[in-house]
Amino acid sequence: MKRILLGLALATFTMSTLPAKAGDIVDEWASVKAPPPPALKPVTVDPKTTALLVLDMIKPICNAERYPRCLGTVAVVKKLIGEARAKGMMVVYTSVPNVPVTTVLEELAAKPGEPFFQSGTDKFLKTDLEKMLRDKGVTTVISTGVAAQGAVISTASEASLRGFKVIVPIDTISGNFAYPEQYTVWHLANGPVISPNITVTKSDLMKF
Amino acid sequence: MRRSKFHVAAAVSVIALAAGFSPARAGDIVQEWANVKAPAALPLKPVTADAKTTALLLLDFVNPNCTNRPRCLAQMPAMKKLLAEARAAKLLIVYSTAGKTTAKDILPDVAPMSGDPVVHSSVDKFQGTDLAKILQDKGIKSVIVTGTAAHGAVLYTGSAAALRGMAVIVPVDGMSSEDLYYEQATAWLLAKGTGGIGPKVTLTRSDMIKF
Repeated sequence: MKRILLGLALATFTMSTLPAKAGDIVDEWASVKAPPPPALKPVTVDPKTTALLVLDMIKPICNAERYPRCLGTVAVVKKLIGEARAKGMMVVYTSVPNVPVTTVLEELAAKPGEPFFQSGTDKFLKTDLEKMLRDKGVTTVISTGVAAQGAVISTASEASLRGFKVIVPIDTISGNFAYPEQYTVWHLANGPVISPNITVTKSDLMKF
Repeated sequence: MRRSKFHVAAAVSVIALAAGFSPARAGDIVQEWANVKAPAALPLKPVTADAKTTALLLLDFVNPNCTNRPRCLAQMPAMKKLLAEARAAKLLIVYSTAGKTTAKDILPDVAPMSGDPVVHSSVDKFQGTDLAKILQDKGIKSVIVTGTAAHGAVLYTGSAAALRGMAVIVPVDGMSSEDLYYEQATAWLLAKGTGGIGPKVTLTRSDMIKF
């Protein structure tokens, strides 16, 4: 009897001193540290087999209130669009459902005939994007746009899972603040399954 | 030198403020890397799941995906309990495997019963599987997403379920990565997800789910 009581007391003691759960992330939130940044790699783009994706660079999203960091990417994306068009590369635009191509920022506006797709964050979902890219012989996509943690992470990941090579210039993508942008960059460079097809770079490390 | 850098930085931030778009970017994210701060911790909410229209997804709790992650193994008791409660409430239970694994590699604590659907895919379990059809045929409107890796199967399948219109319940003690940073970002990306994902997601803990 004594032994049982002692056992019970010990068990109770052990239970009360052990953490109630095996450490979930909300408990440990404050102790989280970011790993080092990924190395940015130089890239040579083949204009014949590469498409430039301009993801959701539309006025209702890329603005000072919602995505202030987006404004700092516009000039870089504009330069890439110029270089892509000069080399005869395909430039593809996207927006979210029910928001037309005319809402793309004026300085980045689509030219007549350039493909345009509307979807949520994953631009392959319920669209012909994959078929259109394959029909044109595209094997690599350059993912630029906003939100980093939305359209960019989702569409770049899906492109990789569907067998495309993906180039992500970090100075062309933006989150609503630095943290989601940082994680997106880390994830695209290191994330499970998707990262082997993805090259994280910067616009001035890209040659056409 | 230090001083002039400071002055330049101060001038830039004044200009940024004046232009009305602080916090804009100061260089690129790799230059900013060391100064990036995580947002505040997210609240966990109690959930009452409707047994008829909710499915429990157990993603890639297999050897080696789970056995290689100490945080996954540490979650097994909580997942075993959640699974038992879900079975008692007659929820649809759906498993997934990845890579070279099959249903035989699912850990004994959360092993499937005959008749439980098992889908096989990489990180997005809707891709190349009939998961959407399995859920639709049973009238499922909500999924409880558990598994490993948090930043793999849970992030992608949870997001994909939300984009397909389902409510997504994520117990944070049922998703694991090898590094806290990835788990934290997964919780944040799901709860605050753009494109309609965030409003569909409820972050909770397994002992806060009632059936």
